[in-house]
This record gives sequence, C-alpha cells and structure tokens, in this order.
Amino acid sequence: MTDSTQHPAELFLRFSRRSVIALLATVILLGGAALSLMLSPSRAFFETASKVSLVAVAVALLVTILVALHRRRWPASSPAVQVVMDDEMRRASVLRASRAALITVLLAQYPLVLLFGFFMELPAPRGAFAMGAATVTLGLITLLSLFLYFDRDPA
Amino acid sequence: MSETLENSLKVQRAMRDLTQADLAAMAGVTRRSINAIETGNMIPSVVLALKIARALEVRVDTIFALKGRSAAASKDED
Repeated sequence: MTDSTQHPAELFLRFSRRSVIALLATVILLGGAALSLMLSPSRAFFETASKVSLVAVAVALLVTILVALHRRRWPASSPAVQVVMDDEMRRASVLRASRAALITVLLAQYPLVLLFGFFMELPAPRGAFAMGAATVTLGLITLLSLFLYFDRDPA
Repeated sequence: MSETLENSLKVQRAMRDLTQADLAAMAGVTRRSINAIETGNMIPSVVLALKIARALEVRVDTIFALKGRSAAASKDED
C-alpha cells in the first residue's frame, strides 16, 4: 500500500488547488480595485484607488510569476498532470461551476443595472464600464469558488 | 420508484487490501474520484467503471448494480 500524500498526482492536485485559490484572491483584488476606480466620485479617492490598483496589479503579477515558477515542476506531459487533468470529478466540477457562474452572471445583470444606473446614477460610459467589471469579477469569483467547493475531497 | 446506482467498491477494494490511492493509480484517476464514488457522491462514466473493474479484475456488475424498481418494470407487472 502507498501513502496517498506522496503520490505525484496528489501533490499536483494540491498545487493545482492552491493555484486556483491564489487566482481567486487575485481576481477579488483586481476586481475590487477596478470597481473602486470606476465608482469613486471624488478626485482624491480616485488617486488613492489608482495607487491601490497598482498594488493589486503588482500582487497579481507576483502571484502569476510564483505559480509559473512552480508550474515548471509539472510539465503538461507528465503522468501526474494527465491524471489530474483527465480526472472525472475535476471535469464534472468545472462543468457544474461553469453552469452556476453563467446563471449567476445572467441573473445579476438586472440588479447591477438598478445599482449602477438608478441608485448610484453613474454616467452612461462609467456605468457601462462598472457593469462590465462587476460582471466579469462576479462571474470569475463564482466560477472559481464553486469549482473549489465542488472539487473538494468528499467527506 | 426511481432506480439508484449502488456499488461495492469499498468492499472489493478492502478484499484486495488496496488503499484508495492504490486503486486510483491503477485506474488512472485521483484518489478523490475513488472516494467520491465509494461515498455515492459521484456516478462514474462507463469508461471509468470499466477501468476500475479491470483494475480489480472483476466484472463491472460485481461492483456496480442498480437498486430499486424502475417505472417501466412496475408497469410491466400491472
């Protein structure tokens, strides 16, 4: 019998999950920064938000570089990567999360229009950009968080 | 009454003294998939069911079986 924690596929699986968590954190950071930039009414706040967004971009780049460096340990042709990528549970989790993210994004459109157009009364171009940023952020957050939830080890 | 898929994967695996990780490696999937099938959280595809059966050297219907009566079967009896 083998120790499951030492199996290369399990090691890659853990690395893969950590990468998705890092990606989720990056999306939240970048999405939050983009939205705060578009929704900021005052010039002073806009300048602060610009600095925050620069930090967010720097963190996103750092996370991307770190993941890319670790990814080199796992070439796409390696059996461990193939097993994880072809795993039925993973594929089913991606499908379920994609479906849920699509429905969430579609259902969110009307509340977003109400929020940005009527309650916040943003001008049309800024409102459109805010809607775009909110839609993409919401969709990605739903997709990634539900994927992590569905793809967890069942109890 | 709907039919459900039941499996004796855990029993078959234990009879051969295999861990979930061992069976996963033999069938070419992750340990989570084997765990999900054993706990009834996932219904495997035909391909995966055949791979598991091949790894355990048994027939597929030794591991997986339908339980409960189908609507068609009930109708036939009426």
